[in-house]
Order: sequence, then structure tokens, then C-alpha cells
Amino acid sequence: MPIVLTIGVLTALVILTPVVTSLLGHRSGWVLAGGYLLATVSFLPAVTAAVAGSPLEWTMSWIPGLDVELAFRADGIGVVFTLIALLIGAVVLAYSVGYLERGRQLSFYWLMATFTLAMTGLVLTDDLFVLFLCWEATSLASFLLIARSGTTAEAPSMRTLLLTFLGGLTLLTAIAGIVVVTGTARISEALTSPAWDGANPALVSTIAVLVAVSAMTKSAQFPFHSWLPDAMAAATPVSAYLHAAAVVKAGVFLLIRFSPAFSAVPAWNGLLIVAGLVTTAIGGWFALTQTDIKKLMAYSTVSQLGLITAAIGVGTEAAMIAAVLHVIAHALFKSGLFMMVGVVDHLAHIRDVGRIPRLIGRAPVSFAVTVLGCASMAGIPPLLGFVSKESVFTGLLDSPGGAWAGWAALVAGAAGSVLTFAYCAKLVFGAFVDGPALRDEDRTGNDGPHGEAPQLGPQSPVMLVFAALPILASVPLAFMLPQLERLVVPAVTAALPGTEPAPHLALWHGVTPELVATFAILALGIVIIVARAGVWRFFDRAVLPFDGADVISAIEQGLIRPARALMDFTTPVRAARHVVPGLAMLALVILGGVGAIVEGPGLPQPQEGLNRPIDAVLLALITLAVLVACFARSRMTAIVALSAVGILATVQIMSLGAPDVTLTQLLVEAMTIIIMMLVLQKLPRTFWKYPRRFQLKRGAFALVIGVSMGTATWALAGRRERSDLAMYYLEQAPEISGGSNIVNTILVEFRALDTLGELTVLGMAGIAIVAVMSSVRDRYIDPPAEDVPEVPRTPYVKLGHASSQRAVFVSWPNVIPIQLTVRRLIPILAITSAIVFWRGHNEPGGGFIAALIGSAVIGLLYMSTTTDRAIGPPQAPVGLIGGGVLTAVLTGAVGLMAAGSFLEPLHGQFLGQHFTTSMLFDVGVYLAVLGLMLISFNLLGTSDSAFTPAGNDVLVDGQMLRDVVDVTPESTRERVDEMVYGEMTGPMESVRGERPPWWNRSGRIRKQRVGARTASMSRGRESEEDGS
Amino acid sequence: MILAVTVAVLVTGGVYLTLQRSMVRAVFGMTMISHAANFMLLASGVSAWRGEPIDGRTDVSLAADPLPQAFVLTAIVITLAVTIFMLSTAVFGHDDDQYRLPETGEER
Repeated sequence: MPIVLTIGVLTALVILTPVVTSLLGHRSGWVLAGGYLLATVSFLPAVTAAVAGSPLEWTMSWIPGLDVELAFRADGIGVVFTLIALLIGAVVLAYSVGYLERGRQLSFYWLMATFTLAMTGLVLTDDLFVLFLCWEATSLASFLLIARSGTTAEAPSMRTLLLTFLGGLTLLTAIAGIVVVTGTARISEALTSPAWDGANPALVSTIAVLVAVSAMTKSAQFPFHSWLPDAMAAATPVSAYLHAAAVVKAGVFLLIRFSPAFSAVPAWNGLLIVAGLVTTAIGGWFALTQTDIKKLMAYSTVSQLGLITAAIGVGTEAAMIAAVLHVIAHALFKSGLFMMVGVVDHLAHIRDVGRIPRLIGRAPVSFAVTVLGCASMAGIPPLLGFVSKESVFTGLLDSPGGAWAGWAALVAGAAGSVLTFAYCAKLVFGAFVDGPALRDEDRTGNDGPHGEAPQLGPQSPVMLVFAALPILASVPLAFMLPQLERLVVPAVTAALPGTEPAPHLALWHGVTPELVATFAILALGIVIIVARAGVWRFFDRAVLPFDGADVISAIEQGLIRPARALMDFTTPVRAARHVVPGLAMLALVILGGVGAIVEGPGLPQPQEGLNRPIDAVLLALITLAVLVACFARSRMTAIVALSAVGILATVQIMSLGAPDVTLTQLLVEAMTIIIMMLVLQKLPRTFWKYPRRFQLKRGAFALVIGVSMGTATWALAGRRERSDLAMYYLEQAPEISGGSNIVNTILVEFRALDTLGELTVLGMAGIAIVAVMSSVRDRYIDPPAEDVPEVPRTPYVKLGHASSQRAVFVSWPNVIPIQLTVRRLIPILAITSAIVFWRGHNEPGGGFIAALIGSAVIGLLYMSTTTDRAIGPPQAPVGLIGGGVLTAVLTGAVGLMAAGSFLEPLHGQFLGQHFTTSMLFDVGVYLAVLGLMLISFNLLGTSDSAFTPAGNDVLVDGQMLRDVVDVTPESTRERVDEMVYGEMTGPMESVRGERPPWWNRSGRIRKQRVGARTASMSRGRESEEDGS
Repeated sequence: MILAVTVAVLVTGGVYLTLQRSMVRAVFGMTMISHAANFMLLASGVSAWRGEPIDGRTDVSLAADPLPQAFVLTAIVITLAVTIFMLSTAVFGHDDDQYRLPETGEER
């Protein structure tokens, strides 16, 4: 139960964070920190149980078909890491309140809360699949937290993602291997399974190495270390939490978690020890070459994690104790030091050693805390870092492979620790002592003349207190080692089952090799401090000409080159390249297949009476219309021909006995043509003319495909009796559904899931239009008219008299008839729409057809105005689509709850009428269709056209000229942005996500929207509209 | 079977138009191909039975197969959505011709 409570509290925090941040803004950190403490308190019984040696468990079935369970088990390992994640998390989030700028900071808090949930899930779960999901979730949260820091963080976050996801893939493979070997996904069973003993050693080694590699990517071990310095692009609280205490520790956790199975596998030991020690050395070395103190800390983390990894690799009791202890110690001092870096950064506005002013006088407390943290990291007695580092040395002495290996590991570890000492010194002296001196006016905060030293920022007490907390907390811990042991021992027992570790953690063990090493380190360290100027100079020169990020970039570039060759092959310059191969293959399959059938078994006899006379008539007419549509130069002619094809197809459908389809097709045809006309007004009047030889080739190819499709229809259709399925629907459907229109009942009841999919596609097409258009800059959607020169042309119609000229070329008199019609027509259409909707269950009709009739109202309204105007409130279309899909899904959910099957309709009688929930489903269809239609009209209708005048032409000396001065009130891009954000004053000249400074969401802007403004005309008054 | 010839005509016209470089023509082509596909679907219900599949209006022995009709209805709606989406991409820059290399010698 404590596990459920803890996970529950964390989940609730994730859900509540958006609300909390909207109320408290950047101060939400207090609430989250409180939530973490609450989760910790509720977790305490599990801690007690784990210490007592009987871990709590909790299991819930999740995906029974795949045997995936939400299984949790709070053993010693899980408890240690959960406490780290929750307590450090609480401190860091409290610190964030001081660190973050004012504002909602939703993405920060939400991602932090999500991360903590994932991390806790990761360390507590007892199911391999849940473990993998949580693992990936922590990677994703880490990536997003880096990526949210702006454009400079883009490339680093991508590199981080590449490396950590690489680890995710190896982990997934390893998990598959573990399940194959042991036959269970329960971690506690799988890792201690006897199946490991009998398994193929090569397979076991492979799995062990895969797990180790996953952990190494996450814990930034060489050669995967480069992501951690990259990740410093993130905000300091993120670094203090994820990159010091949590996400990097996930790798260490994974190693400890899988130790029961692999701690005796030589490949595991060798890889981890070598990689860990190498990482310690190069991490320390690179840390010293850094001038940015935050990057210095990142490399220092890399180096410290190397020590832990090596200790886990050794895999003995002493080494495992050391690893767990150092995990705790490192989480405390490193997160504190990261937060101190943030304090220095806020104070000095700079993080470069040598340019940070001498802060010791100004911030003595910060100095003291940093010294304490660094001393712990450097392993100076009597701090916790000393105890843990010494126990790591003890552990390293146990390295497998003989006494020399132990000594070699110890020397390597000690050498790494010298580097640790050195970079700690660099941090302390660089940030507080050796910088340029502060001038008096800087102290007082006056804006003095620009001197050597930069202006200091204010010091936030909140930041200082919470940065100091983990460091100060670690001080008494060094004197409470027996209590700490009680926490460490269960973790080691869990990592190495069957052992009974008896640690003797103490500050004083007598004179041991480890103590000698410590004193050697101290002595060397003091020498380094004394000679620090020279040492820093040496390391400044000892920089490699490239870093890990460059290597990754080089690999990426190397991969992009062959990819580009592939891309050239499939580049979408011409559609033909994509269309032709596929269609050619299809024709080959069909013609070859039909040929083979005819040659071989032969085709069955066709049914009697497949043809009707009207088919022949329609064939002739359709052929004619297709020919015109294909060969017309004028776009207008082509559209007329196309609509003829559509209407003829409608008649053909009717002759096939499909009244619902006929109605739908007819209305869709009408809508499509209107939208095509809207698009056409922005495009050139004619199509391009191509050389005949090109067109002949295309025509010949098209003919082959056409013949193959005709052959397919002829050979494969109409050669059987009606199917059983057809008979089932014809005979049973009316009784089952209570509706006599079988097609409609199939759509909304029998195959409602298909219709839900269709409805979603429809809605998503509308959303996709908005999304695509809002990612294109205004000037590319609607190029400025003056950029597109148009030759003056003679008017289409030559008229002598000025008033007749006006009657043709001026828009407002032209819309009077349609406006008068619309007034009478709208009520009729509305009623028709309602009737068609209502009768859909029994007669041809239904939600979709009714919606298209409703859309006709929109179309008529749109066309009855003199100039282009948006119809309805700007955000309505997106809302309609969302509402429609939501209505349909909710209807389905009602069916699921009441009738036990998603979208199962419920029937009932009300006022003597038969009602079903499928009608509600139809409402969803109606809304979504309406939304898409509104989007189409509002977005495609904007008419500042470069090629065509659309009401802006002026007649000068018998020539039509386009009046480019007349600016259209709204451009396409503005409309799109309004659909998302509400009314605006102009288009955003940006891509999505970059909001211009003037942008605000105030609802004060009021624009004229379309209504049927015809009252003036019918009363004989002048128009209220200003179209001319 | 005359319907098969109609399908052939529509597909020929549709493929021809789809291969053109003008986006709008490609959309026209897709529309025609959609008509053809719908006819194929309806033909799969065997066009010898052409009665409206409505209970009480048509005798079951004459009624057409309702399932392909439901499929076609869905297909029409999706065609509408896709057509509108493709049309909306055709208006970018107010010239729907795909990228044209100068040495192709095409003329307007």
C-alpha cells in the first residue's frame, strides 16, 4: 500500500501541475516539493519493510494478453534510489522557485514531475516491460528538459536523445534476451532464475554486455559520456536533479539491479571496471580543461560515476557497499554543488573561470558551502565523501584477476581522485578566490562606470538555502554511519542475493592502503593548490582539438551523406517518380495474374444481368468529360469537366442501387467544386503546356494502368452469387438495429469503429491544414501582389456603358440576388438538414449527408458577401472538429460502459419515438464535417491573389489593371493563426511557436464576420457593406 | 461488363492527370481515381442486384449488397478530406506548378 500511495501522489502531481502552475506560476515548486515530501512520508513504511528484509510488493494486471503487469517491489535497491529521487527532487524544486524567472514555467514543472514519476517507477518496478517504459520516459523527459532551453539547446538535446535512445534499444534487446532465457518478465524471478546456469554462456555474456551498455549510455560512461556535458544547456535545477542525482543514476541503478544475474559474468566485470576507470580518468582530465564551471561539474559527474561503475563491475560485497554508499554521497554533494553553480551564475552572470569576480567577500556563505561540498567530493576526512571514496578503494582492491589487478585498479582510482581534487580546487578558487577583484560600486549595486569587474546580481536566499541543504545534510551523515549501514545493507543484499554483507563503515580503519592513497591524494592536491596557476595553464593547453559532441556530429554527418544519396533517388521534385513504379508494379501483378488465371483454371462465369443500358450511356458521357478534363488548357474548363464526371458518377452510383452513397456523392461533389473554385482564384488561369512527346508518354502509361484496372474489375467482380455477409445484413440487420436503412445502420452500428476512424481522418485533415499553413510564412502562402507582375489584359466582356461595366465588374450588385435567395433558403436548408439527420436510420440520410446540407448553408453564406470574410467565430472550426470526435468517442464509451462493447448502441423509446445512442454518434459526425467545411471556406477563400484580381480590378483605357494598393483585410496566415489563438490584428510573420512581441490574446479586437446582411436590400436601402 | 470499361476510362484519365506537374491537376486525377475505386468497390457487390438495400422498400431477392455501399460512403468522405487537404497545399505561393528545371524547355 505505501508503494501505491507514493506512486499515486506522484501521478496526482503530474496531473495537477498544469493547474498549480496556472495559479502559482514559478512558485509552483513549493507545491511540488511538498508533494515529494508527502510521497516520501507515505513511502516510509516500505523503507522500514525493506530494511527489515521483507520488501513490500504490489501488483496490478495491466496487459493480460502480453503478461505485462504493473508490478512493484520496494527492495533495498529501490528504496535507496526512491529516497534519492524524492528528497533531492524536493530540494531542487524548492530551489527552482528562486532560480526560475517569473511566469508559468509549465513545461519545466510538468516535465520535472513526469520525470520523477518515471524515475520512481523505474526503480520500484518488478516488471521488465514497465522498467523499459520508465527507462525511456526518463530519457524523453531529460531530452525535453534540455530542449526547452531554446534554440542553443537544440543540437545538444538531439545528441543526448541519440545516445540515450541507443541505450534504450540495447536495453530492449537485453530484456528480450532475459525473457527468452528465463521465461518470465518478473525482475525478482528472472534475475535469480536457475535458468542462467544452464544457459549458453555466449548468450549470457551478450545480454550482460547489452545491459551494461544501456547503463553506460545513461550514466555517461566512456565512450557515451559526451551527452552529459551537452546536457548542461539545460537550466541549472535540471542539471542538479537529473544530471547529478537522478537520470545519470538510473544507469547505475540498472547495473545494481541486474547484478544478481551478471555479477559473476567475466564480460560484465571486465567491461564495467575498464570503462569505469577510463571514464574516471578522462572525466577528471576533461573537467580540468573546462573553464565553464557548469561543464566542469558535468565532467566531474562523469568521472565520479566512473568510480561507481567500476565498483559495481568488481561485484564483491565490499565493492557493492562502496557503490551504494558513493551513490548516496555523490547525489548529496553533487546536486548541492550544481545548485551552487546556479547561485554563482545568478550572482556573477557568468560561469567562466577567470572572469567570475572574486566572490569570497561578497558571498562568504556560498563560499563556505561550496568548499564543504567540494571537500566531500575530493574525499577529505571526516566528510561522507571520504568514507565512500575510501570504501570504493577497498572495493577496487577486490578486482578479479589477481592481486595485481586490484592494485592497478586502486592506483587508477587514486589517480582519478587526484584529478578530482584538482578540479574541486579549480572550482573553489576559480569561482570565489582568484577572480578579478570587485569594486565598491558593484558591492552596492550602483550602475558605476564600466570597470573590470561585472555588475553583480542579487542573491536569492531561497536558492542559497536549498543549494546548501544537501551538502550540509551530508555532514552529520558521516557521523551516523551505523544508521546509514542499515539502509545500505538491504540494497547490497538485493544486489548480491545469498550474501550477508557486514560492512564496517568508519572514519578510521587504522593504517590501510586506502588511507595511504587518501593521504597521497591530499598531499598531491595541496601541491596542486599551491601551484595552481601553472597547473591550470597546463590543462588549458591540454585540450583535445575535438570533443565528444564533435565526434557525434561527425558520425551524424557521415550517416547523412549516404542518406542524401538515397534521398536524391526518392526526392519529391516530381510526383511521377513516386507514382510510376508503384502503379507499374500493380499493373504487372494484375495483368500477369489475370492472364495466369485465364490460362490456368479459367474464370468463373459472370452473373446474369450485370449490365444495364444506362451504364453504356454513362460510359460515353464520362469518357467525354474525362477527355475534356484531361486536355483543357483553361483551369476553369477542367473544373467544369471534372464536376461533370462527378455528377455522372453520382448517377452511376444511383443506378447501382445506393441511395445513401448517391446523396453523399452529390453533396460532396458540390462542396468540392466550390472549394476548387476558391483555390482556383489564386492560381494561374491556365495550365502549363508541355511538349507533346512528354504528354504522349504519360498518356500511354496511363492507358496501361487504366486497362489493367478495368481488367481487374472485369475479371474479379460480378462472378459470384451474393455473399453470405450481404445476405446477413439484408435479412438480419433491420431486426437487430431497429432501422430499415441498412447502409446507415452498418455505418453507425455494425461497423461504427470504421466510421469513427473516417470521422477522425476527416477532422484531422482540417487540423492538418491548419498545422501545415501555420508553419509557412505569410509571404510564401500569399506572395505580395506587387511581387507578381501581371500583364494588363483585355476584359473578358467588352461593355460600352459605364453602368453596365459596373454591373459586371463591381461585386456588390452581383451578390444581391444570392443574398436575397440566401435569406429564404437558410431556414429551408436548416430544416432539411434536421429532417435528413432524423430519418437517417430508416431512410436515405444520416449525419454525414445532413452535415453536408448544413455546410451548404456555410457555402451560400460565404458566397453571398462582396469580399472574402471569415464565417463564424475564428476558433469555432477547430472546436467543432474536436467536439465532433469527442462526442463520437464518448458515445462509444457509453456503449462500452452500459453494453460492454465500445460503440455498442443503446436503444430506447421516448415520446413514442425510437431513439438510439448511434444518433449521438451521428451528431459527432455532423460537427466534424461542419468544422472541416468551415476551415476550407475560411482558409482557402482569402483572396489577395497574385494572379487574379478577385474584385480588385480597375478598368483603365479599356485594359484591366490589378489594383495592388488595395490590401485585403485578412491574409491566409492570419486566418490560420486566428483559428488557433483567436482574433488578431495581422498575420504572424513567424513559424509556429515563435510568437511576435505584439501578440496577445486579448479578445478586444472585433472584426466584421459574415451574417446574412440582406435586410437593407430587401427594404430598398443602400447596402451596409462596403464592397465596391 | 460495362462498369469495368468505365473504371478503365476513369483510371486512365486519373493517372494521366496525376502525372502532370500541376498540383491542381494531380488533385483532379486523384478525384477521378477515387471515382474509379468506388465503382470497383460497388462492383464487388455484384451489379446484377441493384435494388436499394432498405428494409420494406425492396425485396431481399433484388436488393444490392449493402456492405460495399457502406465502404464507398466512408471512402467518399475520406476522399473529400484528402482532396481539401491537397488543394490547400496547392495555393502556397499562388503557383501550383511543381519545381521546374529551366533546361526542360517547357513553355507556359
